[in-house]
Amino acid sequence: MLDVAFSKPVPPKAGAVALLLAEEEQLAGVAAALDQAAGGAIARALEVAGFKGHKGKNIMLYAPAPGLGRVVVQGLGKRADLSALTLEEAGGSIATALSAEPQAVILADSLGAQDAAHLALGAVLRSYRFDRYRTKEKAEDKPKLAAISLQVPELTKARAAFAPLKATAEGIFLTRDLVTEPANILTPAEMAERCKKLTALGLKVEVLGPKELAKLGFGAMLGVSQGSVQEPRMVVMQWNGTGARRTKKPVCFVGKGVTFDTGGISIKPAAGMEDMKWDMAGAGAVVGLMATLAGRKAKVDAVGIVGLVENMPSGTAQRPGDVVTSYSGQTIEVLNTDAEGRLVLADLLWYAQEKFDPAFMVNLATLTGAIIVALGQEHGGMFSNDDDLSQKLLAAGLTTGEKLWRMPLGDAYDRSLKSDIADMKNIAGRYGSAVVAAQFIQRFVNGKPWAHLDIAGMVWSSKDAPCVPKGATAYGLRLLDRLVRDHYEG
Amino acid sequence: MLNIQPDLHLIGAADLDPKAARVLPVRQGAVPADCARAAAAAGFTGEAEKTLLLLDRPEGGVLLLLGIGEGARPEEAGAAAAAALCDQAQITIDGRGLPRSLAVPIALGAALRAWAPPQHRQGKRASEPGLSETTRLDLLVDDAERPGRRWREAQATVEAVCLARALVAEPSNFLTPKAFATRLRALEDAGITVEILSGRALGAKGLGLLQAVGRGSVHPPQLAVLRWPGSLDQPPVCFVGKGITFDTGGISIKPADRMWEMRGDMAGAAACVGAMLALARRGSPAPAVAVLALAENMVDGDAYRPGDVIQGHAGLTVEIVDTDAEGRLVLADALSYAVSRFQPRAVVDLATLTYAVGVALGGEMAGVYGNDGLLAAHLAAAGVVVGERVWPLPVTERQREALASDIADIKQCITGRLVPDAALAAAFLRAFVGDTPWAHLDIGAVEAREEAEGRYAAGPTGFGVRLLDQLVATRYEDPDHP
Repeated sequence: MLDVAFSKPVPPKAGAVALLLAEEEQLAGVAAALDQAAGGAIARALEVAGFKGHKGKNIMLYAPAPGLGRVVVQGLGKRADLSALTLEEAGGSIATALSAEPQAVILADSLGAQDAAHLALGAVLRSYRFDRYRTKEKAEDKPKLAAISLQVPELTKARAAFAPLKATAEGIFLTRDLVTEPANILTPAEMAERCKKLTALGLKVEVLGPKELAKLGFGAMLGVSQGSVQEPRMVVMQWNGTGARRTKKPVCFVGKGVTFDTGGISIKPAAGMEDMKWDMAGAGAVVGLMATLAGRKAKVDAVGIVGLVENMPSGTAQRPGDVVTSYSGQTIEVLNTDAEGRLVLADLLWYAQEKFDPAFMVNLATLTGAIIVALGQEHGGMFSNDDDLSQKLLAAGLTTGEKLWRMPLGDAYDRSLKSDIADMKNIAGRYGSAVVAAQFIQRFVNGKPWAHLDIAGMVWSSKDAPCVPKGATAYGLRLLDRLVRDHYEG
Repeated sequence: MLNIQPDLHLIGAADLDPKAARVLPVRQGAVPADCARAAAAAGFTGEAEKTLLLLDRPEGGVLLLLGIGEGARPEEAGAAAAAALCDQAQITIDGRGLPRSLAVPIALGAALRAWAPPQHRQGKRASEPGLSETTRLDLLVDDAERPGRRWREAQATVEAVCLARALVAEPSNFLTPKAFATRLRALEDAGITVEILSGRALGAKGLGLLQAVGRGSVHPPQLAVLRWPGSLDQPPVCFVGKGITFDTGGISIKPADRMWEMRGDMAGAAACVGAMLALARRGSPAPAVAVLALAENMVDGDAYRPGDVIQGHAGLTVEIVDTDAEGRLVLADALSYAVSRFQPRAVVDLATLTYAVGVALGGEMAGVYGNDGLLAAHLAAAGVVVGERVWPLPVTERQREALASDIADIKQCITGRLVPDAALAAAFLRAFVGDTPWAHLDIGAVEAREEAEGRYAAGPTGFGVRLLDQLVATRYEDPDHP
C-alpha cells in the first residue's frame, strides 16, 4: 500500500511534487515559493496551458528547477465547493500523474487536516493494483509510486485524521483483492480461510461448513451449493467495539458470496460469464467492512455474515422445479437455478435476525441484471422497509460517492411470488425482477429494520475512475462505514 | 473542395506563428541542451514515438519533444505528436535539419490523426475528449519556397483521405445518393470529369440490379463515373465502389442494434473518390476511372423482395435471396458497366460487403479476392507500403456452383449458419467481370474504428484511398511497363 506521511511546509528542493490550485486563485504559500525558485516556470506553464484550476484537470512540468522531478499542478475546482469526495479525486489524479516517480511531495499547506487526509486517501485508493498473477511484467512497466508526503500546517491533526482513513483503505484493498481473485483460487473454503485471518484485528470469526449448515437446516443455501464439488461456508464475524460484556442490538451486515455463478442448470450464456467471478462482491464488501471497523476501532458492536457457495451445473445440481425448505421453515419452489443469490440471503438473514436481534440488517448482493437496466452503473438500488435507515443510507451514499437510489416494494410485487405447490417461488415474470427479488428477500427478515442493496451494476468497473483503477470497486464498503460512523458510534 | 480539417501548410521561419504549439523531433540521445533537465526528469531520451509536453519554456508557448529514435515509423511518430496536442488549435512541426523523407511523413501522420469528422452542432463545438481540435498544421522547413514532390504528394494524400473519411462520416439524411453525386461535381476543379446517371438513364443502360436495390427509397439511385485522363496512352485502371448511403437491409431488415453504423455503407465508393482525387492532385500519368454505385436500401411497399428475379447490366438474371446482400448487386451492375464501357487494364472494387470478412481477418486487414494473382500481389505490396494491409482469401469454383439457382442464372447468396459469405460474394461478383484482371477488396471490418489509434482518428479510416493510389503509383505509371 502507498505509504503516506505528513510533514511541515517547506519548499521542496528535490524529487516529484504536486501542487494544488483552486479556481480563481493564484499560486500561494509553498507553491508560490517553489515557483519563485523555479524562476516563474510554474506560473508560465499555467499561462501557456490556460490552466485555471478546474476540477479534474492537471498539467505537468518536468524539472522546472534543478533537482526537481515531475511537478504536477492539480486543479481542485472552486474552493467553496471542496468536499471529501473532490479532494479524494484530486489525490487520485495526482497518484496517476506521478505513478512513474518512486515518491512525491504534495503541497497541501492550503488544506485543513481533515481535507489533507482525504486527499491522501484518494491517492492511496487510486494506487491499488492487483498484479499477483503477472509473472513476466518488467519492473519498468510497473507503477513506481510507493510513498507520498503531504505538507500540512497541522501535522498532528492530519496524522490523527488519516489513521481511520488508512484502516478504510486497508479494508477496501482486502475487498478488491477478494473480488478480483479468480474463482479457481477463491473457493468458498479459501474465502473463509481469508476471513479467519481477520482475528488478528480483534474480530471474532466463526466458520460453519456443510455439516453444521445442514444441521441448522439451511436448505435454501445448501440447494444452491449442491451442484459444486466446492463445499459451502457461512462465516460470522463479530466486532465488539463498545466494550460491553454482552452486545445488545448490534448493527448487522449480510453479504451474498457466490464465488462463481454459472447459473447452475439454468445456465448462463457463455459470453461474459467470466464476470461471474465477482458474484461474491456483496460478501467481499462485508468482509472488508468488518476489517475496516476493527482496523479503526469503531465504537460499535457489529456483525458481518457472508454465505459462500459456488453455483454449478452437475449431476447433483438442484433442478428448476425443486422445492427446498429454508432455515425459516418457509418452502421455496426453485423455478430458476440462476436466481440463487436470494436463496443464500434467505437463510443468512433469518439466521442473523434470530441469533443477534440486530438494530438493523443491511444486505449487499450482486443480485439482478434488472437493477442495471433500471439504474445503469451510477447508483446501487436500495430496497427497504425502514424510512429512517433508508434516509441514513442515502445520505452516506452522497457523502462517499457510493450513491444509492431507493426503489419500491409493494404487495402487488409480493403476490407475484405465489407458488402452486410451495410457500413461494424464487422468480416471477419478466418485468420488475429486481423488485421481485427484494420482495422475496423481505420474506426472510421477520419484520426487522432492513435494507437490501442490489449492487450488480456497481462492483466492477471497466474503466479507470479517479479513485478506482478499473476492476473491483469495493462498492458498498465506504457507504456502510460512513453509515456506522455518522449514526451508530459512541 | 470541402472544408477539411486540418489545413496543412509548408512554412519557413518567417511565417512562424508564435501561437502555434511546436513539435521538435528528437533523435535518440539528441535532446537539446536547454530541455535536458526536463527530459531527464521525465525519462525522455528521444525513444521512438514517445513524446514529452513542455509548458514552461522560457520563450513561452507549448513545446512537444517527439522521439524519432531507433525504429521510429515517421507517420506513427507524427500521429503520436498530434494525439498529444489534440487540444491545440494550431501545430507547427519543426522539420528543419531533417531530410524531407522524414519530415514530410511526420507531418502526414500528424495530419491524418488530427482529422475530426465534420460537426453538426448548434453553436460552438464543445471540447470532447479524443476529438482533435487542431485546425491547422504547419511543417516548418528551411526551404519553404521549394515544396517538392514529397510534400505535394503528402498534401494530396491528406486531402484525399480526409475527403473519403468526411463522406463516410456524413449522416445519411444529408448524404443521399443524389447529394453524394452532387458533391462529386467539386472534383471537376481537380481535372476530373464527372458524369452522373440517374432515373431513366439507368434503365436505358440496363442497370437493373442497381435500380432494384434503390427502389425502396424516395432517394433514387445514381451511377457516378469519374474519369482522370492521365497522360499515358493506355486503357484506364478502373475502381468500382459500393455506395449504399444507408443500408437498413431492406425487407430482410437488420437488427436495430448499431444500425446507425450503416451510414458508412458507402465507404467503398468514398475510398474510390479519395483515390481519384489523390491521382489528380499529384498529376498521375495513369488514366483512371471510378464507377460508383450509389443507392439507399430501404424498406418500402415497393421495395424489392427475397425471391424476386432481376436482370442486370450483364444480362444475367439474379435470384434474390436476402435483400440485405444488396452490395454485391449494385457492384455487379457497376463492374459489368465498367468493364464493358472502358475495357480497363484492371478493375478493383471496394465494398463494405460482409460481416464474414471481419470474422475471418478482424479489424486489421481487408480481404482481397480476385481472378489475377499478380494484381492481388501488387495490392498486397502497396498495402504494406502505405500501412493499409490486405490479405488474400480464396474464391473457388465450388462457391460459384453453390450459387446455382433453380429459376435464374445465378443466386445472389446463400443463407444459413457458418456460410462463407465473403467468398460467396466474391464468387458472385466474379461472374460479372469476364476476363478483365479483377480484384475485390472486402473492407467490411476496416472502414471505421471505435477508438483513435496511431494515424487513425476515431471513426472512418479512409481505408483504400492510399492503397489504390499506391497501386497506381507502383504499377501503372511506368510507360515502359504497360
